[in-house]
Amino acid sequence: MPIELKNVDYVYDSGEPFEYFALRGIDVRIDEGSFVGIVGRTGSGKSTLVEHLNGLLFSSRGEVLVDGQALSRDRKVLSSVRRKVGIVFQYPEDQFFAETIFDEVAFGCRNYGFSKEQIDASVQKAMTIVGLDPGRFLPLSPFQLSGGEQRRVAIASVIAMGQKYIVLDEPTAGLDSRSKLTVLGELESLRQSSNVTVILVSHNMDEVAEFCERVIVLDEGSVAFQGSTDEFFRNADLVNRTGLELPQSYRLARALKDGGCSLPLDESSSGRFLDSLHSWLSDSGVR
Amino acid sequence: MAMSRSFVLGQHYPGVSVIHRAGALAKLTATIILMVAVFVATQTPQYLPLALVLGAGIVLSGIPLRFFVRGLKPIVFLIVLTVVVQMFFTPGTTLWSWWFLRITREGVVLALFILCRLVLLTLTSVLLTASTSPIELTDAIADLLKPLSRVGIPSAEIALVMSIAMRFVPTILEETERIIRAQVSRGAKIGEGSLVARMKSFIPILIPLFVSSFRRADDLAVAMEARGFRVGSERTRYHERHFGSIDACVLVASGIALAGVILWRLFL
Repeated sequence: MPIELKNVDYVYDSGEPFEYFALRGIDVRIDEGSFVGIVGRTGSGKSTLVEHLNGLLFSSRGEVLVDGQALSRDRKVLSSVRRKVGIVFQYPEDQFFAETIFDEVAFGCRNYGFSKEQIDASVQKAMTIVGLDPGRFLPLSPFQLSGGEQRRVAIASVIAMGQKYIVLDEPTAGLDSRSKLTVLGELESLRQSSNVTVILVSHNMDEVAEFCERVIVLDEGSVAFQGSTDEFFRNADLVNRTGLELPQSYRLARALKDGGCSLPLDESSSGRFLDSLHSWLSDSGVR
Repeated sequence: MAMSRSFVLGQHYPGVSVIHRAGALAKLTATIILMVAVFVATQTPQYLPLALVLGAGIVLSGIPLRFFVRGLKPIVFLIVLTVVVQMFFTPGTTLWSWWFLRITREGVVLALFILCRLVLLTLTSVLLTASTSPIELTDAIADLLKPLSRVGIPSAEIALVMSIAMRFVPTILEETERIIRAQVSRGAKIGEGSLVARMKSFIPILIPLFVSSFRRADDLAVAMEARGFRVGSERTRYHERHFGSIDACVLVASGIALAGVILWRLFL
């Protein structure tokens, strides 16, 4: 079952003189098990959209369906939706409060009434997924870690709840380039192994091109594009119009083509670009 | 995010009336003068000149009356209590009595006087805080405290601490909202369940808030020093305010109110 938004508007200060449409007529579908990017320039409504997915905000018009269940302020509905949709906010390490990393990661599990064994197992698993050795890290204080480690603990604290949908709002902001790739790679393997749906809000188009099969592009509160990531980045005009940038590999492939290079290279994410470059080179006998 | 919403802090009611445009220092001084007048009066009729000046201020401010009524709410209990006590327990000529209860003429007169005194005091301060932004008000308090620095009281630093605190109230509210959203997304139930559960549910909000406030304080200190802030050096202001004609009017009006009360008390 997917997450669907049907004709969703969100208005700040409705009816007041400075009323403001943060979202307008949003029709979006996020399929189970996919890796979806949400992109758009600052102020395009990404964060507002994300907060609709687990009932932190409620649409002014239209409806949000999670696995067919319409979101409402009803306490039962909310708790069942929040049980399914986890959100890792920007700078999630700002939410740390526990004495040990174990308690920090177990917080969500305890709130959802996991048994003691379930908590232990989920915490161990979540720490392993984000690449931190449970034996070494769990007894430490979350405040004594490096920035990259803190971020991974924060992500683990959401993953541990075992939700079907995980939304990450700029999870790699402020991380060094190696941690960025590790974190996203771990999410991708989580998706493959547990069929978790990953929704990534990002300003980094290289990341989006590399990891997301599909993108939702927002522009001034409306959906400007929704579909395959490749299709979007091959439409340079649209990318420009929505205030975004082409990923490096697409730019390079484009520049090569425009420069009259006859390599049979298509614009694609850097991984696939390198693969095709590599196979072309070996086909032509270059080692 | 909630940032785009306009944010009304405490008692401030933004506006562009003459009262709003008057300097905070003049308004603060006028408020003090009016409060002195409230305490100088000895009988209810003497409040007439004061009430007229205050009433004019309220009308000129363009702030809706219900805003002032709301300002009175917190002291309703105090008013009722003092009025009742005065009415029943002041000795004098009996107007009405039942069993051990007795209302005297003097009691009624005194109760009315106290009622006026409390209401006037409150309305005066509401007019000040409603028409003056907190930042302007702290600046004005700093100006008033300035002479004290001669006797070794660090008035400039006190004022700085106050204005930094004011400046960070909205920031910290926003931060609180952000943390609540994050914890709720992790299944936290805030303010639900038994009293103990409810108190416990605030820990995951308060601790991150403390941590970020300390970090922010550190950052602020570094940023201020990097831009040349030194404790104890002469400071200038971005918004320089000069004494204007509105300020003079405000002061004269409050002076008239005080003089009116004094004259009434002496000669009528």
